[in-house]
Amino acid sequence: MVLAIRAENLKIGYLDEEEEQVVWATRGVDLNVEEGESFCLVGESGCGKSTLASAIAGILPPHALTMGKLYIFDQLVIDDSKRNYNGIRGKIVGLIPQNPGTSLNPFLTIEDHFYYVLKDSKNMNKSESRKIAHEYLLKVGLNKDVLEKYPHELSGGMQQRVLIAIALASNVKIVVADEPTSSIDANLRAQILNLVNSLVKEFKVTLFIVTHDLASAGKICDKIAVMYAGRIVEMGPTSIITNKPRHPYTKMLFESIPILGWKRALNPLPGEPPNVIEEITWCSFRERCPLKIEICNKEPPLMLTDENLHFTRCWRFKEVS
Amino acid sequence: MNSGVEVIKLRNVTAGYKTTLGFKSIFKHYQVVLRNINLSITRGEKVAIIGESGSGKSTLLKVIIGLLKPIKGDVLIYDKQIYKLPWRERVKIIRKIGYVPQDPYKALNPLLKIRQILAEPLEASGLDDKTIEQRVREVVRFVGLQREILDATPDELSGGMRQRVLIARALIADPEILILDEPTSALDVSIQAQIINLLNDIYNKLGTTMITVTHDLAVAQYLADRAIILKEGTIVDEGSFDQILSNPRSEYTRKLILSYYVTTFKTVE
Amino acid sequence: MLLPTYYSRIIYRNLKKTRFKIGVGISTIIVVLAIIAPLIAPYPDEGYGYIPADAGERKLVPPSIEHIFGTDALGRDLFSRVIIGTRTAVIQAVSVIFISLIIGMLIGVCAAYFKGIIEITLNYFIELFMAIPSIVIALFLRLTIGQGLHVVIASLVITWWAWYARISYVYAKSVVELEYVVLAKLSGLSALKIIPRHVIRNIFQALTVQAISDLGSALLEASAINFMGLGLPSGFPEWGVILYEAITERGIEAFLRSPWLVVFPGILILVTTLGFSLVADPLREDLDPRLRRRWKLWF
Repeated sequence: MVLAIRAENLKIGYLDEEEEQVVWATRGVDLNVEEGESFCLVGESGCGKSTLASAIAGILPPHALTMGKLYIFDQLVIDDSKRNYNGIRGKIVGLIPQNPGTSLNPFLTIEDHFYYVLKDSKNMNKSESRKIAHEYLLKVGLNKDVLEKYPHELSGGMQQRVLIAIALASNVKIVVADEPTSSIDANLRAQILNLVNSLVKEFKVTLFIVTHDLASAGKICDKIAVMYAGRIVEMGPTSIITNKPRHPYTKMLFESIPILGWKRALNPLPGEPPNVIEEITWCSFRERCPLKIEICNKEPPLMLTDENLHFTRCWRFKEVS
Repeated sequence: MNSGVEVIKLRNVTAGYKTTLGFKSIFKHYQVVLRNINLSITRGEKVAIIGESGSGKSTLLKVIIGLLKPIKGDVLIYDKQIYKLPWRERVKIIRKIGYVPQDPYKALNPLLKIRQILAEPLEASGLDDKTIEQRVREVVRFVGLQREILDATPDELSGGMRQRVLIARALIADPEILILDEPTSALDVSIQAQIINLLNDIYNKLGTTMITVTHDLAVAQYLADRAIILKEGTIVDEGSFDQILSNPRSEYTRKLILSYYVTTFKTVE
Repeated sequence: MLLPTYYSRIIYRNLKKTRFKIGVGISTIIVVLAIIAPLIAPYPDEGYGYIPADAGERKLVPPSIEHIFGTDALGRDLFSRVIIGTRTAVIQAVSVIFISLIIGMLIGVCAAYFKGIIEITLNYFIELFMAIPSIVIALFLRLTIGQGLHVVIASLVITWWAWYARISYVYAKSVVELEYVVLAKLSGLSALKIIPRHVIRNIFQALTVQAISDLGSALLEASAINFMGLGLPSGFPEWGVILYEAITERGIEAFLRSPWLVVFPGILILVTTLGFSLVADPLREDLDPRLRRRWKLWF
């Protein structure tokens, strides 16, 4: 199998307001995503998942600081502080942004949106791009009339479909979706997720979804990674993670999702994710962990794995499930 | 628990917003958002008003808390037509409603200390400072916050803590009705579950009438026994949660429930 | 109290920027000069406009050790006039801005808070005053009341308050829609309590920054009115008046034959305006993070 995304001890941070200290958003991420996989990164706000997604999509702001390595199809895009996305951004990696309403230029028609993207990535002229645009709009379930329209004339769900079509039209191999459904209503959410899923299978692209919604992540992805305080704490095939979580944090997440039609007692752990600036040299989950022992205060747990490629970062993973 | 006293009653309420386009506002142009709403909520009930964006659920909420005069129809709170009273009298009735607004990041004045924010609803009641301080501490303990946060400003608190502060603020004047506008939508999963448990705790201990306005069926299931489903400004379905789940009366409700199952990894065993 | 710590934190944070340091330095020097001007001026009487007895012998002396900025057409020491003029400049700029800010803020906030007919009326009122240029008002006041410091300040305040009213209206409009104002209303507080606590407090920082950055423009406009001879009487220690005298007495020659008459007051106007802007600019960035530069220029 070819690795689409490979991160080695990737750290991304920003300077704080006083420009004195570096606030690390991700604190050493090791990640392998195989080609053709749909991979889901789950975490709560502030855990660094959006930063990681923008690093993969190549849209980190220029003032971000990076350490470690990130490969996309064996091309080194982040090498410590050097970043080089030439030939990657928009050509190999495409992005479905979080907020469809603000991601389309209100002064351009949908046709122009396609044209500018395709001119940049494939050197197309207007009529060629129109043909491609038409073809992809059909695939996402929109008709030809949309081409002449301006973004505000479309509903939120249609805007999101257009963005998906644009992301796929330039033949990218990896699609990064940053909370693709968070700003859409529930009944559209199902449609959009199903659409993304079927298109990904059709075009054989690698899908990298970032979400806080573990419930829908479990529905559409092959692999799930759970992130906590800048580190991946658990990663593995969806069926294993949803049935037998080995990290107390993942377990707690599953126990605190309200599920319709199944009114069981919600069991959240007290406390909130830590907000630390200095290097974490302990288990970042120790404050909330019910299974905490002596070693959790001394050393951050190692990433352990088993024959199913189920990675866990917990000293007491055997006792969790 | 259900003593049958109607605390909130809406009769044929039609409401909307004035379109303010220059001189047109002198004439009455309305964009109607709610049409012929009939609703009654009895004391001690747990009700959820469910709707997607654009369904008019926040307009309905504004009508209930006395901020938006309906175009026609009666709004009765404790058998009093609140919109027929002047603002001063209206506020006396509305003060019995504890209102928790939607966005915990916009609902707290960033320049005030938590103590000042919490004491605000008691200011008009004419209590002395000592009693107010005592009450503030009581409420803060009740919602599970440390006493130290009283001297903090909202910027120093996380989203979950802000939401707890807002709940505390709503509870401080001993309300008989608690209205929650999307109480968990801005929060993360684990914090959301904490808040749901806290709200149910409050309901069990204080027995307040609880009205939740939300778009999330799964959250509503925990915070309500009865569901009212809004679509495009009208009530399309109403009934106990079990009945709505097992036997939805309208096509829309069925679609809503179905779409929820499609996006969830585990359906009910 | 909370507010002082809040503001001191802002100032502390900005003191790391070189621009802010330069600005604060210039502004402090100007204010200190204004306070101690009569003590350091070599000929304070001449500074206030008194024409010396030996005026005939020391007319239009170029800068020398005795008169570092030279003398004017009436033989007065220009350095003393310019230094004492600092005091007038600071009084003019600060009082214009302060009075306009107070009036404008109250009216703007009221327009935003009380909706309906009050909002519409106040807004038309504000627009009416924004439409009149201050020079016209100054001309009118010059003809009806006469000359003096109060004329300059009044003619500027009459138009400037409307700008602050408009700015406060816009800021306050977004604040009154926020949930904490709604919550305060619902808990039965009166407008008298809500406006200072929730509305003014939250727009005050933005308004202060705007006011500080306007100090320079107020000074420029006041000088312009004086330069046209509409405000302060001839002989008054004010930079605009000094320029006015130079131009009226000497015409175009003032620039060619005795440039010190226009250069020194001009430089002081420039430096003071720059100082105020350099204070306000970093504060404005601090207020609105979108303006913040993440990369560094030379300062």
